[in-house]
Amino acid sequence: MLKMTHLSKVYRTEVVETYALRDFNIDVKEGEFVAVMGPSGSGKTTFLTIAGLLESFTGGEYLLDGVDVSNLGDNARSKIRNEKIGFVFQSFNLIPDLNVHDNVEVPLRYRGMKSAERNQRIQESLERVGLASRMKHYPAELSGGQQQRVAIARALAGSPRLLLADEPTGNLDTQMARGVMELLEEIHRGGATIVMVTHDPELAARAQRSVHIIDGQAVDIAEEPRFHAHDSHADGAQVGA
Amino acid sequence: MKLHPILAALKKHKAGVTLITLQIALTLAIVCNAVFIIGQRIDRINRPSGIDESNLFMITQSWVGAPSGDDEGSVEKLDSMQRTDVATLRNLPDVQSAIAINTLPLVNSTWSGGIGLKPNQQNSTAQAAFYFGTDQMIPALGLKLVAGRNFTPADVNHMGFRGHNRPPIVIVTKALADKLFPKGNALGKTIYVDRDTPSTIIGIIARMQVPSPNSWANDWFWNSVLIPTRLDAGFARYAVRAKPGRLQAVMQEAPKALFASNPMRVIETGTDFDETSVHSFADIRAHAYRADRGMAILMGVICLILLCVTAAGIVGLTSFWVGQRRKQIGIRRALGATRSDILRYFQSENLLIAGAGVVLGAILAVGLNLWMMRQFQMDRMPVLYVLTGMLLLLALGQGAVFAPARRASKVSPVEATRSV
Repeated sequence: MLKMTHLSKVYRTEVVETYALRDFNIDVKEGEFVAVMGPSGSGKTTFLTIAGLLESFTGGEYLLDGVDVSNLGDNARSKIRNEKIGFVFQSFNLIPDLNVHDNVEVPLRYRGMKSAERNQRIQESLERVGLASRMKHYPAELSGGQQQRVAIARALAGSPRLLLADEPTGNLDTQMARGVMELLEEIHRGGATIVMVTHDPELAARAQRSVHIIDGQAVDIAEEPRFHAHDSHADGAQVGA
Repeated sequence: MKLHPILAALKKHKAGVTLITLQIALTLAIVCNAVFIIGQRIDRINRPSGIDESNLFMITQSWVGAPSGDDEGSVEKLDSMQRTDVATLRNLPDVQSAIAINTLPLVNSTWSGGIGLKPNQQNSTAQAAFYFGTDQMIPALGLKLVAGRNFTPADVNHMGFRGHNRPPIVIVTKALADKLFPKGNALGKTIYVDRDTPSTIIGIIARMQVPSPNSWANDWFWNSVLIPTRLDAGFARYAVRAKPGRLQAVMQEAPKALFASNPMRVIETGTDFDETSVHSFADIRAHAYRADRGMAILMGVICLILLCVTAAGIVGLTSFWVGQRRKQIGIRRALGATRSDILRYFQSENLLIAGAGVVLGAILAVGLNLWMMRQFQMDRMPVLYVLTGMLLLLALGQGAVFAPARRASKVSPVEATRSV
């Protein structure tokens, strides 16, 4: 579903080059639920933005759903984001000026979907997250947990092949976090591929597989002994390949 | 682009939207009416006087120590001096024609009076301006005779400046003829230029503007009467037409020739329009309409400033909104919006605001025009001005919003992941 090979991302200024990702390898199979962990500044968010085609990468190869996205133009990347990827952000990223219905509708409009189908999908996805009764509410009128569930509904409404979650419970209290996590697990059981960036080892443990990113390189936690046996900082580790 | 989400977003920014809508509305109302007034001023400036203005200039001069003109002898003397001057001017090689005349169109020096259809009529039927001259007036000024005949040399007499005006025959403009005789049978009819002396209309000319360009003469602007009389006074005006291409040269030569003929006179040269001067008709026209031209330029500048301020307002507000909604734009991009989608979003948003502004502005523009019609006797503004203004403001809005909207379209989708 998502395969990055020898991928690198360099941020350049006039005086310095900073590698956010270096010789980064990861392979996420269709239907997998992968947790991505790592200390602050390790490159987790950079990985997620590249995986979600929000940002370009400097070198290497990235196949998304079998398509090499290296040389895609801006419009093609927008189309893939719209049709294949669902995003769940830490700070929910709902549009404050729009009510719940209109927020969920945003990606569907960009897809050019007809009104009847849009409304049906909005209804279904909001029912799935238990917020169908709050359609006319604005984000400011909802709790954090409810806002994140709206964000998940927005991601689900487009029936994406891949769900990318960036610290989806990072701004929630324990109870709300549990609810959101249960929802993600339910979505995964429905067959979705989920890649979730998190700091929380407890949440990561609920994923099928955890990947650590350290200094811009990925290390599969299941292969930790190999990580210790090799100088993985220098060589990098290929995950799931 | 669907409008519902844009409207929903605009509801959250009521103050900004209201202010810019009002600004667009007021701009439209003011610009439409100002452009209408400018158009009227330009029409006024460009209206033909009825005379052939090409290569024409006017000399106004006064004699020093001239006879008083109060007795027959001094009138004869003044008449002789005037005829000598005309002959001197006609003898110049580059002069095509020269006449003595009391005034000219657009020269703010008017002889006027009421015209009656009966002797000693209490209220005159029409007001008119009087041009005193000879049989040469019509050919020299290029006036177009449309009915009847011109004066002959035998028809022409002369009188002192303070003499009693009793012309037995006159030529009138068509506008005056139609005013006096609406059935169109003015030729040969008797009118009373003087209260009790009948004057027969022997000819009708197509058009000749009255001397004053000011609004007090607006109601009788085309009512002119040609009188076959040389006016003899201590001053004289000469209308001189130079041969093509020789205007400037003749304007230099003519005063010299007159001084050579009789040095006891005053003729100023320069740009001032004083009592004694030499001016081309182009200068006379420019001087006559300088206030109109100034007003048109002033209003044009005000319109331009208003349009610029409105455009700047749109640029400013949209730039502010783009800055404020950077994250939101990133979210939309992350959710699949293309750059064109973002560009269209801001353009549609502007179209909605400007649309509301121009609708309100159209109502205000018509209201302002109606108010000015009542207060200042202005004409009714054609609806085309409002429609054109609406389109102009909509286009201005789209033009003004383009740069900030383009900046917005360049916001990276990765902005969605940045914390504010």
